[in-house]
Amino acid sequence: MIRFCIWILERALLPDFASPVIGDLIEQQDRGSLWMLGETLSALWCLHRPPRLGGSLLRSVVSDLRVAARLLRRSPTFTIVSVLTLGLAIGATTAIFSVVEPVLLRPLPYPDAEQLVFVWERDPDGARDNVGFATFRDLITQSRTLERAAAIGDWQPTLSDKDDPERVQGDRVSWSYFRTLGVRPAVGRDFTEEEDSPGHSDVVILSYGLWQRRYGGDRAMIGRPISIDGNPYLLAGVMPASFDNVLTPTAKIWRVLGYRDQPWACRTCHHLRMIARMRRGEALAATQAELDVIMTRLVTAYPKEYASIGTVVGRIQGETTRNVRPALLALCGAVLLVLLIAVANVVSLQLARATRRSEEFAIREALGASRSRLIRQLLTEGLLLAALGGVAGLLVAYTSLPQLIRQLPPTLPRLSAIRIDVGALGVVTAIVVLLALVMGLAPVRGRSGALADTLRAGRRLTGTPNHATRAMLVVGEIALAAMLLVSAGLLGRSLIRLLDVDAGFDATHLLTLEINSSGPKYPNDTTVFDYHDRVREAVRALPGVTGVAVANQLPLGGNVDTYGVTDPANVPANPELVPSGDRYAVSVDYLETMRIPIVNGRGFTASDATAGGSKVGLVSVALAQRMWPNENPIGKRFRVGGADAPSRTVIGVTGNVRHSGLDAKTTMQWYIPERQSLFADNEEILIVRTAGDPAALAAAVRRTVRAIDPTQPIDKMSTMDDVVSASTSQRRLALVLFGAFAVAALLLAIAGIYGVLAGSVSERARELGVRSALGATPRAIISLVVGQGGRLSLLGIALGLGGSVALTRYLRSLLFGVAPDDPATLAGVCVLLAAVTLAASLIPAARAARIDPSTALRSD
Amino acid sequence: MLGELEQVVLLAVMRVGRDAYGVPIHDEIERRAGRDLTLGTIYKTLSRLETKGLVASHVGEPTSQRGGRRTRCYVVSAAGKQALQATFKSLRRMASGLDVGLEPST
Repeated sequence: MIRFCIWILERALLPDFASPVIGDLIEQQDRGSLWMLGETLSALWCLHRPPRLGGSLLRSVVSDLRVAARLLRRSPTFTIVSVLTLGLAIGATTAIFSVVEPVLLRPLPYPDAEQLVFVWERDPDGARDNVGFATFRDLITQSRTLERAAAIGDWQPTLSDKDDPERVQGDRVSWSYFRTLGVRPAVGRDFTEEEDSPGHSDVVILSYGLWQRRYGGDRAMIGRPISIDGNPYLLAGVMPASFDNVLTPTAKIWRVLGYRDQPWACRTCHHLRMIARMRRGEALAATQAELDVIMTRLVTAYPKEYASIGTVVGRIQGETTRNVRPALLALCGAVLLVLLIAVANVVSLQLARATRRSEEFAIREALGASRSRLIRQLLTEGLLLAALGGVAGLLVAYTSLPQLIRQLPPTLPRLSAIRIDVGALGVVTAIVVLLALVMGLAPVRGRSGALADTLRAGRRLTGTPNHATRAMLVVGEIALAAMLLVSAGLLGRSLIRLLDVDAGFDATHLLTLEINSSGPKYPNDTTVFDYHDRVREAVRALPGVTGVAVANQLPLGGNVDTYGVTDPANVPANPELVPSGDRYAVSVDYLETMRIPIVNGRGFTASDATAGGSKVGLVSVALAQRMWPNENPIGKRFRVGGADAPSRTVIGVTGNVRHSGLDAKTTMQWYIPERQSLFADNEEILIVRTAGDPAALAAAVRRTVRAIDPTQPIDKMSTMDDVVSASTSQRRLALVLFGAFAVAALLLAIAGIYGVLAGSVSERARELGVRSALGATPRAIISLVVGQGGRLSLLGIALGLGGSVALTRYLRSLLFGVAPDDPATLAGVCVLLAAVTLAASLIPAARAARIDPSTALRSD
Repeated sequence: MLGELEQVVLLAVMRVGRDAYGVPIHDEIERRAGRDLTLGTIYKTLSRLETKGLVASHVGEPTSQRGGRRTRCYVVSAAGKQALQATFKSLRRMASGLDVGLEPST
């Protein structure tokens, strides 16, 4: 900064002052670069060298700027409205583009990132499915187009080396994970191939942030054991601060996979994601074709272990943003509409001003100002206005972007890369310059050349040519506003429909939290179950608690824990083709606590909570119908988890529960008492039903659980209502933004139609005066003006509805239970727009009716 | 009659005494009058005063602290002091008899 200031000053200051001023600045440079910049600008202003070449041009530009600034100050309403309008629109556009650019467009921060792909198994319905370890291994060893690959599994360890145990999100990854991405640890070393095997895999790598936060960036720790889940793990290395893990943005710790020859390394154990790096020069289509061939071979070789029929290969960026892409693109479209409306509005304001100033220009021309000089003056005014709007927009973007980021899902890749960057600034600048040209030239177009014409125009009875342009702009604004309102309306109706969906349980008055039982204190399943029982008993004793249960997962909680359900009496040839259901290993009071209805048979009783007794289970209506259509499911038997797993007797049928989302297709559930489960879950959800506000009990519940075992972390505490609403958060975000844009558009359209009518009334004052002198009643004059507004409004609404029908189909993936051309929404928007534009025309109409004919005529 | 900025700068130059260049003049004005003028404004005022013959300037020594740049030091000329006197006199005359606290306490 200081070098730049000196460079400028040396060239631009009067020679007598250059050296003293620069010396003074250097002497004081510790006052900061902002001070330096201010001083430099001031010195340039006060002591600049008289320009040699083009001096008169510069002088006249400066004088144009001064005149423009004075004019803008003299009409503050116009200036404020224009700058605010531009600022909001430019700011919103910049903010949205600042999100979209890094998330959807910018290449991922890995070398040759376009060679990185996800590989999924493709189910018969085309859906993507995780791969099992054996499949992963076969795909990479048999493929020629893939250079490297890595498998990723979920891992949530508890850091247990200090007094406060902490659950962190992590991943278990193949030793080749970071090598596949093309990144290396900043400190320490990467995983080795030998470590990727059972017995050697207690090795971790930390993210830079976690290393700094929890371990103070201690280099001495690298290569030594740290305590995780109560066991020692070797800390091999730390990733660089700049490493952005787009595959699991929330993961802060990685453990080597070590799956080889383990029972869960099977083909049917679909819990790994597979990434791969294609060899340089390989095309996606070639890789896809090759992997499909390999997959077909595998399916033929192991017919009983695959339900899939091929693979899906997709670039990492596209795959990780698949869910948010439609919403982000829709928002881009919406914000562009807002920008268009804002431009239309400001141009319209500028035209109105030009009409008022036409006499001024005529006189200036008559006094000898050249036409080009007048155009330059107008351009300067437009440029100044656009620059002010640009600055306001930048301000809006800076303040709104952090809010926007906070609303985005934390699992969105590249969140950390979102900032107002040069690209977005470039967009703003381009917009501003474009606006300057449009705004600057619009009034000149409406100007007729000769003084006499213009001065005579003052005596015209009707409007000026500018008026038609403004009317067109208003029609456009109303049309754009209608499109935004329809979109917002459709999204709003979708959310209402969604929240009306019966989730299958009663979410009110429920507090949920995740409790843990890992480490040496819990060597076997019984100790874990006992711990759950102790926690339930203690929490039930709290005042205000009416029910307590534990479960391995929550409906709408974002968990996926499904198992194939087999009828032992009817095993299909390919066991992989059995229906899969959400696994609920629960305490016996779970259904009662969640208020999930039993539609047939009975629920669990205390006697079911034993490991020894006969194994029982409940199935949801959907699962029962799928397994035993048109039969009574009570007394039937089912088996989960392999051919050697015990079979269980169905004792009851439960209502369906929305497990994976209110808007997702219904899944099937099966419930078993946790003590009859094949294994205990170390992470368990505690569900507390309360008499009053569940949030009020949060602290007491936390204290109680902690008192039972202070070494175990408590995580994800929230009310069930919040869990449900979080499952709709992306829709909410889209709705809030669309709603805000639509309201802004509506306000701008109202301002637009008001402005046009008010301008037209004052221009037509004489005509209206003549009309009322000739006997027109105030009523007739009001209907004249309102009719004028009504025609514009109707035309705009008609165009807007046409545009909506054309555009809202791009919203389809964001809609739920509402068609893109939902008649109720369209009709509602029509009525709303008609009503507000009518209201906006009433004020100018009333003013028109009050025009006193004698005053109007005398002013001639 | 001197402008208000001119009076402040002239007085500051007199207060600083030897080696009155931009930085000490600025600091003196900030300390006494509580005004944070930019160096550009100060030098512009000084250059106007020099044209009127109210101050004289000479080039000082370069120092390493200033990146080898010379200072430009100012002293108030006799005409400058007279101009200040004339300004103050007329101000006093304008204020005499008015209760604005400008009467010299006698």
